[in-house]
Amino acid sequence: MSVEEVCRKFQTDLVQGLTNAKAAEFLLRDGPNALTPPPTTPEWVKFCRQLFGGFSILLWTGAILCFLAYAIQAATEDEPAGDNLYLGIVLTAVVVITGCFSYFQEAKSSKIMESFKNMVPQQALVIREGEKVQINAEEVVAGDLIEVKGGDRIPADIRVTSAHGCKVDNSSLTGESEPQSRSPDCTHDNPLETRNVAFFSTNCVEGTARGIVICTGDRTVMGRIATLTSGLETGKTPIAVEIEHFIHIITGVAVFLGVTFFILAIILGYTWLEAVIFLIGIIVANVPEGLLATVTVCLTLTAKRMAKKNCLVKNLEAVETLGSTSTICSDKTGTLTQNRMTVAHMWFDNQIHEADTTEDQSGAAFDKSSVTWLSLSRVAALCNRAQFKAGQDSVSILKRDVAGDASESALLKCIELSCGSVRMMRDKNKKVAEIPFNSTNKYQLSVHETEDPNDNRYLLVMKGAPERILDRCSTIMLQGKEQPMDEEMKEAFQNAYMELGGLGERVLGFCHLLLPEDQYPKGFAFDTDDVNFQTDNLCFVGLMSMIDPPRAAVPDAVGKCRSAGIKVIMVTGDHPITAKAIAKGVGIISEGNETVEDIAARLNIPVSQVNPRDAKACVIHGSDLKDLSQDQMDDILRNHTEIVFARTSPQQKLIIVEGCQRLGAIVAVTGDGVNDSPALKKADIGVAMGISGSDVSKQAADMILLDDNFASIVTGVEEGRLIFDNLKKSIAYTLTSNIPEITPFLFFIIVNIPLPLGTITILCIDLGTDMVPAISLAYEAAESDIMKRQPRNPSRDKLVNERLISIAYGQIGMIQALGGFFSYFVILAENGFLPSQLVGIRLNWDDRSLNDLEDSYGQQWYRKKIKIILIDMYACIYVDMFLALICGASKRRNKILIFGLFEETALAAFLSYCPGMDVALRMYPLKPTWWFCAFPYSFLIFVYDEARKLILRRNPGGWVEKETYY
Amino acid sequence: MAKDGEKSDWKEFLWNPRTREFLGRTASSWGLIFLFYLIFYTCLAGMFALTMYVMLQTLDEHRPTWQDRLSTPGLVIRPRADDTFEIVYTKEDTESWDLYAQTLDKFLQPYNDSLQAQKNHECAPDKYFIQEDSGEVKNNPKRSCQFNRTVLQSCSGIDDRYYGYREGQPCIIIKLNRVIGLLPGKDNQAPYVTCAAKKYRVGKDQWKDDADKIGELIYFPPNGTINSMYFPYYGKKAQVNYSQPLVAVKFLNITHNEDVNIECKINAENIPVGGERDKFAGRVSFKLRINSKN
Repeated sequence: MSVEEVCRKFQTDLVQGLTNAKAAEFLLRDGPNALTPPPTTPEWVKFCRQLFGGFSILLWTGAILCFLAYAIQAATEDEPAGDNLYLGIVLTAVVVITGCFSYFQEAKSSKIMESFKNMVPQQALVIREGEKVQINAEEVVAGDLIEVKGGDRIPADIRVTSAHGCKVDNSSLTGESEPQSRSPDCTHDNPLETRNVAFFSTNCVEGTARGIVICTGDRTVMGRIATLTSGLETGKTPIAVEIEHFIHIITGVAVFLGVTFFILAIILGYTWLEAVIFLIGIIVANVPEGLLATVTVCLTLTAKRMAKKNCLVKNLEAVETLGSTSTICSDKTGTLTQNRMTVAHMWFDNQIHEADTTEDQSGAAFDKSSVTWLSLSRVAALCNRAQFKAGQDSVSILKRDVAGDASESALLKCIELSCGSVRMMRDKNKKVAEIPFNSTNKYQLSVHETEDPNDNRYLLVMKGAPERILDRCSTIMLQGKEQPMDEEMKEAFQNAYMELGGLGERVLGFCHLLLPEDQYPKGFAFDTDDVNFQTDNLCFVGLMSMIDPPRAAVPDAVGKCRSAGIKVIMVTGDHPITAKAIAKGVGIISEGNETVEDIAARLNIPVSQVNPRDAKACVIHGSDLKDLSQDQMDDILRNHTEIVFARTSPQQKLIIVEGCQRLGAIVAVTGDGVNDSPALKKADIGVAMGISGSDVSKQAADMILLDDNFASIVTGVEEGRLIFDNLKKSIAYTLTSNIPEITPFLFFIIVNIPLPLGTITILCIDLGTDMVPAISLAYEAAESDIMKRQPRNPSRDKLVNERLISIAYGQIGMIQALGGFFSYFVILAENGFLPSQLVGIRLNWDDRSLNDLEDSYGQQWYRKKIKIILIDMYACIYVDMFLALICGASKRRNKILIFGLFEETALAAFLSYCPGMDVALRMYPLKPTWWFCAFPYSFLIFVYDEARKLILRRNPGGWVEKETYY
Repeated sequence: MAKDGEKSDWKEFLWNPRTREFLGRTASSWGLIFLFYLIFYTCLAGMFALTMYVMLQTLDEHRPTWQDRLSTPGLVIRPRADDTFEIVYTKEDTESWDLYAQTLDKFLQPYNDSLQAQKNHECAPDKYFIQEDSGEVKNNPKRSCQFNRTVLQSCSGIDDRYYGYREGQPCIIIKLNRVIGLLPGKDNQAPYVTCAAKKYRVGKDQWKDDADKIGELIYFPPNGTINSMYFPYYGKKAQVNYSQPLVAVKFLNITHNEDVNIECKINAENIPVGGERDKFAGRVSFKLRINSKN
């Protein structure tokens, strides 16, 4: 569309801009120029989800049954016992409190996010009714005439009508860090490629431009990507799936047992009311009330630990996701690389020199004594418009902000580092004339005075595309001497150019010439528009090549990921060659692995003849990706271990992620740009960059790397795996106490023994004494092989599998239950009720009017006293204590766990000995000897578990491992 | 389609003919795991039996290890009141009290003088009937003292078959719970039972009792004394024919047609009275209501 058409379409004027009335009208029609924030779940829905999710439903059922039972009792009896009412209240309290707890934990982590929102309102310079006005970017409407200058953020998608050296940084949109120039001419049919459109939220790096707004808000390209992102449905996190699975199992068991024994109780002749009370008891015993809170706490602890290591987790459950990750799709720019052009290589004196690209200048230096190098650095420093922004003297050179384009900044920093102040050099060599870079001549030229005040010659310096520079040169500088450019040198140049280009680096050529004084005397008026001076037969000085170098820690991190069985895929919007070079540099394509093209080149055969299976690595261009069918895509993802996708669009990133997920992988995506955000959202875990990341990408991500360092991901993976292992231990620990809690009920119903463990006491165990040891297991240190084994297979390696259940319920739980029962029998027998008498005693025991119940010795007990001796719970706890020791039987000492055990004992002692507890919780002081009743059983558990582990170690892969390794 | 898949998944899980797996395990796998649990549980059961056996060996045959819960024995009344501890009947309605009389009849049966004379020893009153073991040699079986039904006089049911219920002057029999080795009273000062109107709460900080309604009481044996000779108790095994001493209370002119709350308690210097909460420690309370049609 021509400028006029655009004007007509938006009823605007190229000079005057919109009228205020029109602008108001458009604003009303299109709405403000802002992205609609992604829909958020209302707070109360989140709260209710916590309140009614998971086990809560089961506990609510229990509570309602309690109230129902109490209501029935209240209606039928004069003095109803308050037990059921209290229990109902306690259950409700438990649900509400754990619900609130989880809710606040969630809220806390989501609050961190809000701090990221950029609240500063953006300003835009618009021309309305011929006047320039500064307005809020939100009020910009389609048709507005807008002016942008270097440093501005572009307030909307604009069609450029006039530009002066305008360059925009589209990296947040395309991932390409190279600034692109903008001009009024249409250069491409694709609006994304054409030069005359600048996009919303990209940055104008330099120059000025004027344009007409064509799209605002959600209709901009950026807005469309954001909409695409927020429209994506994300699946549940792996840990949520695992927990759901676990809840299903436990709920199933609870309901099954509850209903079975309800029916059994009815058949055995209990009343409805009693049967309902049993049902409540069984439900309460079965549900590990404290577990979900424990899991939340464990996840929070890990999240905190990760935050310290610069991984900020937005969504608690995402903590574990990284641990399950089997594929990481990483963006290149800013994640793997420093997002900072740096001079990597130089070619002069017919030799390639390596420059130091590391972040801390620890790399090798090159020979700086050569005269050629001095000339080269002089050219690079003088023929350069970039300069450091003021007031940064204390900042290290590499970190200083530079005004200017990326490659010039790279040169500036390089020279500043190796030769000292560039400014001084420029001061000494005053610039006389300059031709800036443009796409037609592809070079930049400037004329300077020389350093030597006696030398009145002018120095012409030029840099640009190497082949263009070469064409203008007739001589070449070798070891400081000018020599004629012969064929041999040309070939050497070609080789060097090819080699550097092959490294994915951007190569610039440099040349200079001291203009002869006779032709160009001092004061010669250089006309840059109509070039009135010599621009050929120059002296070639050298090449400098630049790259955005990989971060120092990345190769190591990639290596760690690889040894942890995680496939690292590079997905970038950049050129295939650059992408491949970086991939090789960071080890995504490891040494010795070749792509199909490499093999073809090596064997000198056409690409089509190479068996793709021979190549482990492959580089895929976005345009090829477009033509691939789903099967081909799967084939590539399955058969190549090292993949690089280059030139990909946001949509294609999404396709890649989906492809990986289709193959059953758990995918982590890292990225910083808006173009990454759909993929970030779609991924099982999206990792955004905290420093360079765009707001949209942060919004879409689950995790934010505060230091933008890919290596932090490895920490995340390690923490995630650790928390998965530790949660297993926590759950195994918590679940074992279920059996000692359920069995008393079952025996109570079936053989009519006095009830050993009241419902309230069960709650005390689950929520009080058991929780801290369970949480302390989250502090267990990692196994040494945690980063060496394969990522877990989500379809096979469950958080809670039948082996864990088998051990927790069938083995350890049973020993614990026996220990509990043993202490129960000891306590009763030592008080006078022998085990033989207990079976069937329940009716008399619970008969409220019977106050002369006879024990085995002929003594008579009145009712209150017999209740007192029902205090079995501590024996259970005692066994528990040892169990925790074992579950965590860590080779290392876990201080928190030991603290947890002390806490458990202290709390138990408090519950037992604190005056008033007999009334409140029906717990009574224990004789010291009773604490040791269950000791043989604790010891048995210890020996049993140690033996199991020993066999596991001795006999890996054996039957014991198959049946008991969880 | 997906449902079919699920169904066949289930079927395959149930019985997978290809791998010959039932519920995800082959027969040998099932066998092994079954065997494992069999052995495991057998061992556990063995261990449980062993610990139980050891524990039972540590117990004394005649006296439980701990008696601290029984330092204050409870009192129990007969006829046994129901859950709410109420004895309510209508004087003119025979059926309403007949059951009480029958209960007492049955309860007092073993106390018949003839039976007591046959089984039990006539002890010297007013002092503890101590029968110590001499060292290792157990002095078993131990003899018990006679408690004759006739001691209860008009509450014995011998003269008045209806225990005064017909006249509206009901007898309540009170007994002290047996506790092995308990020696109530001090210096041979025998413990005795007294009954009085029970204070009960009617409002916040407002207490009331039915003292005006309780009327005259008469105790059998006189003063409600429990003779010291019935103590100590040596346990069911050593003292097979032990007769628990009783005290009867007869309400001579209790107010009719109204609830009367009564509390009886044991008075002995060395029996601590339980706290306010413990309603049965050394005492018993009940409600008596005799309805009368005239």
